[in-house]
Amino acid sequence: MNKQPMSLLINGETCAAEVEPGRSLLDLLREDFGLTGTKVNCLEAECGVCTVLVDGMAVNSCSTLALQCRGKSVTTIEGLSRDGHLHPLQAAFIEHGAVQCGYCIPGMIMNAKALLDEEPDPDEATIRAALAGTLCRCTGYQKIVDAVAAAARQMRAPAHQAKMAAGAGGA
Amino acid sequence: MAIEYFEPTSVAEAAALAARFGASASFIAGGTDLVIQMRRGLRHPAQLIDLQRIAGLDAIAIAGGQIRIGGLTRHRAIERHPYFRASLHALVESAEVIGGFQVRNVGTVGGNLCNASPAADLSPILLVLDATVHLAGTGGERTLPLADFLQGPGRTGRAPDELLTAVSCAVPPPASATAFIKQGRRAAMEISVVGVAALVTLAADGRCLDARIAVGAAAPQALRMPAVESVLRGAALSEAALAEAGRIAAAACAPLSDVRASAAYRRHLVRVLVPRALRRCVQRVTGVTP
Ligand SMILES: Cc1cc2nc3c(=O)[nH]c(=O)nc-3n(C[C@H](O)[C@H](O)[C@H](O)COP(=O)(O)OP(=O)(O)OC[C@H]3O[C@@H](n4cnc5c(N)ncnc54)[C@H](O)[C@@H]3O)c2cc1C
Ligand code: FES
Ligand code: FES
Repeated sequence: MNKQPMSLLINGETCAAEVEPGRSLLDLLREDFGLTGTKVNCLEAECGVCTVLVDGMAVNSCSTLALQCRGKSVTTIEGLSRDGHLHPLQAAFIEHGAVQCGYCIPGMIMNAKALLDEEPDPDEATIRAALAGTLCRCTGYQKIVDAVAAAARQMRAPAHQAKMAAGAGGA
Repeated sequence: MAIEYFEPTSVAEAAALAARFGASASFIAGGTDLVIQMRRGLRHPAQLIDLQRIAGLDAIAIAGGQIRIGGLTRHRAIERHPYFRASLHALVESAEVIGGFQVRNVGTVGGNLCNASPAADLSPILLVLDATVHLAGTGGERTLPLADFLQGPGRTGRAPDELLTAVSCAVPPPASATAFIKQGRRAAMEISVVGVAALVTLAADGRCLDARIAVGAAAPQALRMPAVESVLRGAALSEAALAEAGRIAAAACAPLSDVRASAAYRRHLVRVLVPRALRRCVQRVTGVTP
């Protein structure tokens, strides 16, 4: 095969890989780096379970080629917790019972993180619009929306902001 | 089959690579159309020419009465652009319904137009704006009216070595407004069953100085509706006139039946959505909601 060497940042660490040009970022993350938190489903960019952040933007890793990410920073669900502490979004999803089978949740949380990084105080319509690219077949969405709103409140709180400033908090 | 991957950093380099490999090569921008088509086995490029390392192709510029949108501009950048949000509603309304966040974060204007789907959501409003497509290849640069560039499903006036570097149009005249209405089978993440874009310019006496309509997904390519436009020009935009515009548009389109909708339903949507889009334009110019 015609593999090309590349490097990229995955969850803050520089990673090197040899990839065939047709290979997806999803495949690279799961098969080469064992990051199976990013899920596989439609492979058509329709369902969003494979969502990761590339340079801070939510993308479907199934429709992104690994080589398109050369030199970029990729964040997966595995990259959210810090020192054993869940990210506020992860904690809020648990607290609000927003998880049923769980298959959509990594994608849902990565999509929500991209939203909150850009828009710390979204209203419900904004949250729903932002999550439209990720499908959940279990929950009916309401608890997911509640969890994202709760996480947003928590992340705006002074305690969280101080932790972030001290470099100890979740990403 | 092994694919070769190239990452040119200039338009000239990208065009030279495309000329060297000819039909076996494909440009890739966001990849949201191409990667899926490759996975479905519909396309088998032997060389991929990644355009994202070429600097300056993703700029939006509004100056001297002209709007210029770089070929690598992402849908999200259009949706969030302050000028478009304030003054070109239909462009925002077109960009913000393309897939979900994840698709709009990487999908580009150039990809949307070059993929040439009859349902591409940017085509109707750009046709309404009489947009010009800027192409650059090994033989130099040229421009083409978008209406000539779009030639049918998957077919464009682009030569294989040419990149779409930008699309440009004039700023709409004063007392104008635009609207885009898309009908899919569900609210989000859905390809258009029909999309209607309109621009209305009102005269001082409230009559229609100019009206422009384009319809997507209701013919092999997105179409302007000159028969509708000529009837509206100079007319008072009464409910009866708007309904008549819908009837003429429905007669003028050439929809297909496919997995998303029947031809009859598409025609029905055109008849309903053309008046709705025109009405929305009038409301936006006058600031009055009847
Ligand atoms: C889940 C999903 C939902 C979608 N929903 C919609 C929708 O609602 N409405 C809609 O209109 N589209 C939709 N699309 C289609 C697609 O996202 C858009 O058409 C997008 O704009 C394509 O841009 P891209 O940069 O990803 O193109 P790519 O896939 O990179 O390229 C598409 C084609 O254009 C060529 N190309 C790209 N850029 C250039 C250039 N600058 N010069 C010359 N050739 C070029 C490529 O060679 C390729 O043939 C959807 C796609 C997915 C996966
Ligand atoms: S697996 Fe990528 S969007 Fe469904
Ligand atoms: S929790 Fe099962 S798909 Fe969302």
